[in-house]
Amino acid sequence: MNDKHIVSSFDAELEQIQAHIMKMGGLVEEAILDASKSLKNRDEELAEQVRANDKAIDALEQRVNDEAFKLIALRSPTAVDLRVALSVMKVAGNLERIGDYAKNMAKRTSVLVHMTPVEGARSALRRMAREVQLMLKDALDAYIQRDAELARDILERDRDIDQMYNALFREFLTFMMEDPRYITPCMHLHFIAKNTERMGDHVTSIAEQVIYLVTGALPDENRPREDHYRAELHLSD
Amino acid sequence: MYDAPNLGATVEQKDIKISAKKVQVYYGETHAIKDVDIEVQDKTVTAFIGPSGCGKSTFLRCLNRMNDTIDICRVEGDILLDGEDIYDKRVDPVQLRAKVGMVFQKPNPFPKSIYDNVAYGPRIHGLAKNKAELDEIVEKALRRGAIWNEVKDRLDAPGTGLSGGQQQRLCIARAVATEPEVLLMDEPCSALDPIATAQVEELIDELRSRYSVVIVTHSMQQAARVSQKTAFFHLGHLVEYDDTANIFTNPKDERTESYITGRIG
Repeated sequence: MNDKHIVSSFDAELEQIQAHIMKMGGLVEEAILDASKSLKNRDEELAEQVRANDKAIDALEQRVNDEAFKLIALRSPTAVDLRVALSVMKVAGNLERIGDYAKNMAKRTSVLVHMTPVEGARSALRRMAREVQLMLKDALDAYIQRDAELARDILERDRDIDQMYNALFREFLTFMMEDPRYITPCMHLHFIAKNTERMGDHVTSIAEQVIYLVTGALPDENRPREDHYRAELHLSD
Repeated sequence: MYDAPNLGATVEQKDIKISAKKVQVYYGETHAIKDVDIEVQDKTVTAFIGPSGCGKSTFLRCLNRMNDTIDICRVEGDILLDGEDIYDKRVDPVQLRAKVGMVFQKPNPFPKSIYDNVAYGPRIHGLAKNKAELDEIVEKALRRGAIWNEVKDRLDAPGTGLSGGQQQRLCIARAVATEPEVLLMDEPCSALDPIATAQVEELIDELRSRYSVVIVTHSMQQAARVSQKTAFFHLGHLVEYDDTANIFTNPKDERTESYITGRIG
């Protein structure tokens, strides 16, 4: 297919919206890394910065939505152009949620720095956050390059994140059973782990949008889930 | 995980009204339509889209043998209406056109009264036994053309005195007066303002319950709005023919995608 529209301003608008998505993606990646770094290093100042930076992410989401809305109203996009307009709104929503989770991680860090450190957990959480950030980077690359294969690969990688979460869950349980003084920090750390796992789900959702954008259909196979821990703990959905 | 929406599922399968197989059209040496196979469904609006010169109007005109009037035009292949070959020697083109009505780009009322414009077809085909019956046919046609209320008090006024949108609806009323089974429309709204266009589009949607409507349009938004099936023509080929929702959200052919997204003219 010819890449360029006859009306070049249409291309300019589509490119602009996608540039906002990329900028948003960059800020969110930074937020994940900084939040996990502040947790690891017990750096309250950096945590504060992550919380402040979240406003820029929210503003960009609004901008993406406004521009996509205008594009739909004024250009009546069809086929792939329509899918771009719809997917940017969803991707922006996913990025905004990931940004919120990073902000929440920073918030809990500000509380955790004043408590007894829990050995080992912070490094594991940082590795998990790092993995999510790499997945996000690849999802955004897949988006820009219209690479459905790379996007499918991300769906697979989310399993690793789920496994990391399950392992941390057990670890925190053990800590809490050993010493009740660990209960408060471990609860915070557990929420951080859970939120990081949720970030992975939002990255997965972005990857699904890439597949929708490229092929016109969402992937239909059920994503494999690691939820034997649910059975173990008698948890239901 | 949620299911991918199947937009095409809302289109039900209808009977085949027109079936074209391996249709070729030549204007002298020019091969204008190449190997077109299509099945047009009954009680469905089918839109033909494509860039200028792609053959969509030429193909539309084959469906009621309007091309017979062009000396150098030659049509090959089969076009069946309800299973019968419309190019068979025994078929009278005038009778055929009563069954397959046509509305053109520019409203072209006869220079006669509104009443006579509509009564013309039923008269030459002998559809009315007396004046009362003819009156009834004219009123019914004007009602179906969604113009009755605007003209009922001035049926003797010349049709050419109406506004463009009214003239076009008069022409549609004239076309439906002979109780056609298929209505061909060649850019019926391109000379109309948006309000008149909306009225004609509403009319097309109503006509769908009785007829098979085939519309050629340059406005892709119009095709998307009024049709259930869309055929994309390019350089004389029928490139893609599918449910309208599929054509506009996820076309299979790259040429269709390029055309509907405004990347090729």
